[in-house]
Amino acid sequence: MQKTMPVLEVQNLKKYFANQKAVDDISLEISEGQIFGLLGPNGAGKTTLIRMITGIFYPDSGNIIFDGKPFDAENDITKIGYMPEERGLYKKMKIGEQAVYLAQLKGLSKRDAVARIKDWFARFEMESWWNKKVEDLSKGMQQKLQFVITVLHHPRLIILDEPFSGLDPVNSNLIKDEIYKLARNGSTIIFSTHRMEQVEEICDHIVLVNKGRKILDGTVQQVKQDFKENLFNIGFSDAFAESELNNELFDVVSASQNSMVIQKKENRSNNEILQYFLNNGASIDSFNEMLPSLSDIFIREVEGTPLARRFESN
Amino acid sequence: MTKTIIMKKILLIIQREFLTRVRKRSFIITTLLFPLLYLALIFGTAFIGEKGQTKLKIAVLDSSGKFTKARVDSANAFDKASTLVLVNETPASLEKDFEHKGYDGFVIIPANTVGTMAPDKIEIKANRTLGTASSVQSKLNTIWNDIKYEELGIDSQKQKQLNDSKLTVQVENMQDKGSNAKIASLTGYITGFLIYFILLIYGSQVMMGVMEEKTNRIAEIMVSSVKPFQLMVGKIIGIAAVALTQFLLWIVFVFLIYNITKSGSAGNSAMAVVVGQAQEVFSSLNIPQLLFLFAFYFLGGFFFYASMYAAIGSAVNEDMREAQSLSFPITMIIIFAIFILTIAMQDPTSPIAVWGSIIPFTSPIVMMARVPYGIPGTVPYWQLFLSMGLLVGGFLFMAWFAGKIYRTGILMYGKKPTWKEMLKWAFK
Repeated sequence: MQKTMPVLEVQNLKKYFANQKAVDDISLEISEGQIFGLLGPNGAGKTTLIRMITGIFYPDSGNIIFDGKPFDAENDITKIGYMPEERGLYKKMKIGEQAVYLAQLKGLSKRDAVARIKDWFARFEMESWWNKKVEDLSKGMQQKLQFVITVLHHPRLIILDEPFSGLDPVNSNLIKDEIYKLARNGSTIIFSTHRMEQVEEICDHIVLVNKGRKILDGTVQQVKQDFKENLFNIGFSDAFAESELNNELFDVVSASQNSMVIQKKENRSNNEILQYFLNNGASIDSFNEMLPSLSDIFIREVEGTPLARRFESN
Repeated sequence: MTKTIIMKKILLIIQREFLTRVRKRSFIITTLLFPLLYLALIFGTAFIGEKGQTKLKIAVLDSSGKFTKARVDSANAFDKASTLVLVNETPASLEKDFEHKGYDGFVIIPANTVGTMAPDKIEIKANRTLGTASSVQSKLNTIWNDIKYEELGIDSQKQKQLNDSKLTVQVENMQDKGSNAKIASLTGYITGFLIYFILLIYGSQVMMGVMEEKTNRIAEIMVSSVKPFQLMVGKIIGIAAVALTQFLLWIVFVFLIYNITKSGSAGNSAMAVVVGQAQEVFSSLNIPQLLFLFAFYFLGGFFFYASMYAAIGSAVNEDMREAQSLSFPITMIIIFAIFILTIAMQDPTSPIAVWGSIIPFTSPIVMMARVPYGIPGTVPYWQLFLSMGLLVGGFLFMAWFAGKIYRTGILMYGKKPTWKEMLKWAFK
């Protein structure tokens, strides 16, 4: 992956509230065009971190560098689009009018705002909504509208907090495609969630925070490699009897008639293991390394449980 | 550069707050309804005054022979609140069935009414309390005067001379020529009460507007575009503009109605009375000065109190009862101001009125009760300028203070904070 100048740099950010350290010395770097996953359980400090990046909160200490310069809320705020987890719109206001208003607050002229909204509404098949009130929309429709409003002013940095919650699969895909498109066109996206399967699919780079601290930082591939536990899944075409498998090469984590999960021991090669099974008369169908899912890593890091537990219970 | 961006954003917010409210049906209805109610009130009272009085029919049994039919008839012509009817019966039978015969009561003029000696006591006897006995008394007196004049040999010309020669006493305020205590007190009452209503009604509109933003969760979206303080100020100014618009419309209506009434009052006595009163009011007041000060105290008071209402709206969640319990102390202060207003109306230079009109918590309401009495006669310049200065300082401080609470409050969900916690948000 090419290394460009970071759009956003967060250095040793701290924000303490009366009874909790919401963000405790977090640093991170996000490059242009990246889809960046900000992960963590509820209450980990994600929202506080985002609120500092969007200028809503002042950090107690630390720096935020936006586009190479110290973050200046008054001016840089128009280059950021933020969709909070708790969606919010004026319920009694007409949709078109409301979108124009919010776009104007982000610095768009009225004419530009109207043109862009019409364009987006056409793309999302929302043209007929213009004069409806928000309270008349379904939850999913409100969600789509909220997304459009977030990205309308072509922000350099888009922050999406749980963007897929409440969306059906069709609309989820619609939004997902738009996110990819925005990233291709040079927008940088912070994607905050605790839904790991989506992160795995969408994100280039992830950071995991828990209790106000950063506990993981890297690309999705790299994090998975770091957390692999040398687990392999072996499939057999004939039933393989599990006898005398105590050996120097691996431990058996779980076994059934036609498959087996093993954990390779230190300094052993895959070839040695395959050789072992072949020597014992197994007819091997498949042999795959089991990389941990982000979900597993998340649970392990947050709860401190070993990965292998999952397979033992199978 | 940055300044113009901020100004533009605040203007956008003001515009939205203004337009969404002015276009509401409830705004249009109250704005139109008020002048109609105003009309109904003025003409209704005049109408009721004329037609609505209970008409008493009183039987008069004259034993003196001086209450002749001619005199009774001419006395009856004065007003229609009561009618005297001469009867020729015995007192006993009259007492028995005056009600049967359609009389509300009866009067017996004693036989010993001689010369100019007034009979010692005259009673209207009835089986219930009669409301407008004063009309009967004045009629009987008219008749009695006529009898006295005749006894004393005073002809109609001398009677006129006697009646017309009176001493009239007027209090003249030498500093403020033309000020009229009655009109000043009434004007103060009306303007003070108008400000009171604005503070309560539009103040709670600010509070509910903030609560709406918080419960709709749009607050977080808004503060990712504008500073919370800008959002609060924009909302307060926008709602103040709504109130001002409503007032301007009302003033226009009132003047229109006044002018229409004036041209139509030629043939109508009730309307002529109203127009005459209005002319008297306008001529005894310094209208431009009054309007200017009204606008000043209205805006100053509104900014002062609306900031507090905004802070409360930001602190509570969607529960109206929470909002009411937190805003109760503020409402109490406003009601206290009305209490001082009633004192200031009677005695605009009493110490409580003077200090009430200087301290910003009560000055918007109380000063409006004192101003119509005249500047600088009743309200010296130093008091006026001190009051205005303190109000400006007061609302600047209050906006700053409320802004601090607001900033924390609008993103805070969960338990309702106490006043102590809110103060901590402001001064941490």
